[in-house]
Amino acid sequence: MANVENKEIIIGEGKKFERIRRITGYLVGTTDRWNDAKRAEERDRVKHTLNK
Amino acid sequence: MVTEIIKRNGQKVEFDSRKIRNAIFKANIRIAKEKMSDDDLDKLTRRVVNRFDLFAGTPTVEQVQDVVEEVLIEADYAKTAKVYILYRAEHEKMRNMDADLVKIYEDLSFKPSEDADLKRENANINADSAMGTMLKYGSEGAKSFYDHYVIPFEITEAHARGDIHIHDKDFYTLTETCCQIDLIKLFNNGFSTGHGYLREPNDIRSYAALACIAIQANQNEMHGGQSVPNFDYSMAKGVDKTYRKEFYKALSQYFTVKSDIPYEEVEDIIKELKIKIGAVESMDDIDGYIAKITEYFAGLSGSITENEAVEACAYAKKTAWRETDKACYQSMEALVHNLNTMNSRAGAQVPFSSLNYGTDTSEQGRMVIRNLLLATEAGLGDGETPIFPVQIFKVKEGINYNPEDKNYDLFKLAMRVSAKRLFPNFSFLDAPFNLQYYKEGDYNSEVSYMGCRTRVMGNSYDKEREVTCGRGNLSFTSINLPRIGLEAQGDLEKFYKILDERMEMVEEQLLHRFKIQSTKKVYNYPFLMGQGVWIDSEKLDKDDSVAEVLKHGTLSIGFIGLAETLKALTGKHHGESEESYKLGYEIISYMRKKLDDLSEETGLNWSLLATPAEGLSGRFIRIDKKRFGIIEGVTDREYYTNSFHIPVYYPISAYKKIQKEAPFHALTNAGHISYVELDGDTCKNIDAFESIIRCMKEAGIGYGSVNHPVDRDPVCGYNGIIDEVCPRCGRHDGEGIPLSKLQELKKKYHDVPDYSSLIS
Repeated sequence: MANVENKEIIIGEGKKFERIRRITGYLVGTTDRWNDAKRAEERDRVKHTLNK
Repeated sequence: MVTEIIKRNGQKVEFDSRKIRNAIFKANIRIAKEKMSDDDLDKLTRRVVNRFDLFAGTPTVEQVQDVVEEVLIEADYAKTAKVYILYRAEHEKMRNMDADLVKIYEDLSFKPSEDADLKRENANINADSAMGTMLKYGSEGAKSFYDHYVIPFEITEAHARGDIHIHDKDFYTLTETCCQIDLIKLFNNGFSTGHGYLREPNDIRSYAALACIAIQANQNEMHGGQSVPNFDYSMAKGVDKTYRKEFYKALSQYFTVKSDIPYEEVEDIIKELKIKIGAVESMDDIDGYIAKITEYFAGLSGSITENEAVEACAYAKKTAWRETDKACYQSMEALVHNLNTMNSRAGAQVPFSSLNYGTDTSEQGRMVIRNLLLATEAGLGDGETPIFPVQIFKVKEGINYNPEDKNYDLFKLAMRVSAKRLFPNFSFLDAPFNLQYYKEGDYNSEVSYMGCRTRVMGNSYDKEREVTCGRGNLSFTSINLPRIGLEAQGDLEKFYKILDERMEMVEEQLLHRFKIQSTKKVYNYPFLMGQGVWIDSEKLDKDDSVAEVLKHGTLSIGFIGLAETLKALTGKHHGESEESYKLGYEIISYMRKKLDDLSEETGLNWSLLATPAEGLSGRFIRIDKKRFGIIEGVTDREYYTNSFHIPVYYPISAYKKIQKEAPFHALTNAGHISYVELDGDTCKNIDAFESIIRCMKEAGIGYGSVNHPVDRDPVCGYNGIIDEVCPRCGRHDGEGIPLSKLQELKKKYHDVPDYSSLIS
């Protein structure tokens, strides 16, 4: 995780962003463990507007 | 009299009539109707044995089995005979390796989750770990066994075909789904988890710790979620117990330090005080108690003057409240950490825990709610969003919904936290179907939801016990509604005919499973029943049957894909057409009425469920695609839309979606939820968030949840929305940044992780 480059320690190479999403009611920190169907559904999700 | 029998391998062994009896029993258990009593079994066995009285020589196993078939048919047990015959044939098949199961085990053992959809059936389990894999071995093996030996053929077929889906099939003969745990009842006089007795807790920290233990203990006896319906009420007593301790501690401190009295003497003074005027009961009556203390010291001519007593009490009251609040916060923080990290369910996942709260307006209850929310907001060790417990804030007019309501501040705080952490969700006690049970101040009358959305409240088995605590779902099975839509080919009469058939089959299956569940005894559930968690189980002894008390639970029929069903029937789903909407409402109403009628007729709790459908969302459509091909709007995606939801891909305003889905909440008494997907940084738009929750309440939603992107950069600790680049530190996904930059950021943002150990 930490490489020494020109005396400057670099942090976080390879570290991905965490994307918490809700699947059938509970939170999962990453979609890696979701099954194919729910992943597909999450991709399709549109945002709901706030106009009446 | 026959004394010997020849086995298939040619060996002569002693004839044991019990084996015949057992074989008949096993064949009979696979039939939902045609149930045999112990007497029937004995008679039939005797009849078989007697046939061999005049048999010359020693019979073979095959010959005995032939006679069993004859006897069964003669005695008019045609269905059992058929099962027995097929059982013989199948057993032959099973004597060879079950190649299917071996293939599954192979995939589990050697393919990484990424490549095997089977391993990602449940997102909560890391099936790449040893325990996770072991759990799957057990699960797949059990399912295979039940398919071949326990579940009636037509039903196994229907499940395999994708007409229906039996949930948690791996636990078919073992237990029930879930339970709403009353911690107040459990903690009263302490409890045991099987190893050692835990006395009634004496401090808010112990209350919270024991809550985790109770959830975990129960989780290991059931295959579904565990919820606490009255979390605020049940922790409140712990708050007072801590307050009591902190009050005397602060009082002693004051006398020791300010009044300069030796500690041992102070101890004696306090002891004497408690004997003479009693001890503090609760923070509620602290002022009255302080008045008594002042009076006491005034009348005493000891080392403490009346004035000193007054000042000491003022200090103690302030300090006690502050220290109790701190202790409460720490307990809630520890609880969230525990429920989020302890893989105490079968060693491979955290328990599926839910906490309901929001209506306790006492000082103590409010302290619990506030601290739980604040601890959730702060997050885990590095500020991460906790995944468990699922938290549900119970919205109720007059209690927390309007600005003049006592707990309104907590409602606002709940929304603030939810905007950041996605929990709590919101349940609505004013929805007419929930309100009918509500009695103010009685938590047992407040509908509680499981995190997954399950709801158990009405009680057809016992109308006097339409309560929350100690009840749960027994099992649930879902129907493939879109498939019926496709099979009907636009003919509504045909649709309802097939729907009737499917529902009746599921009713038969749920009863079959219930029959097996009813054979269990209290000792099969050392905690759930042994400790009186399930309703009325405290009245039972270790060896008693649980058959009667289980009837308080629900038998639920679920469905998915109403949208696709309507698309198949009319060409439009219920979000895009009023006509389709009416038809959709009619169909779900029809299903609900059928179950209400069945409840009336049988005195059991049959209910209709808007199935959560994690794995199922893909399973049904995969099979339907193969059978019916790609049909636009029906089978052209990789998933069926959840329950009665407007499809996720359909553009619609949050308010319209809520209004369209709310009426279905009233119909799905076994559980329901509605989601709204929000854009942008909701944290900055709490008013919009509140308007959505209020819209849900006014529309008659029972349980609702707001989804919005919650991203986190683990490197710099930023929590919020991240598109391509982290707004705080500027790195891309997978990019590294200099330590010096992080140290700069840490000066500005307290939630940047601590990298000081990396500096030499």
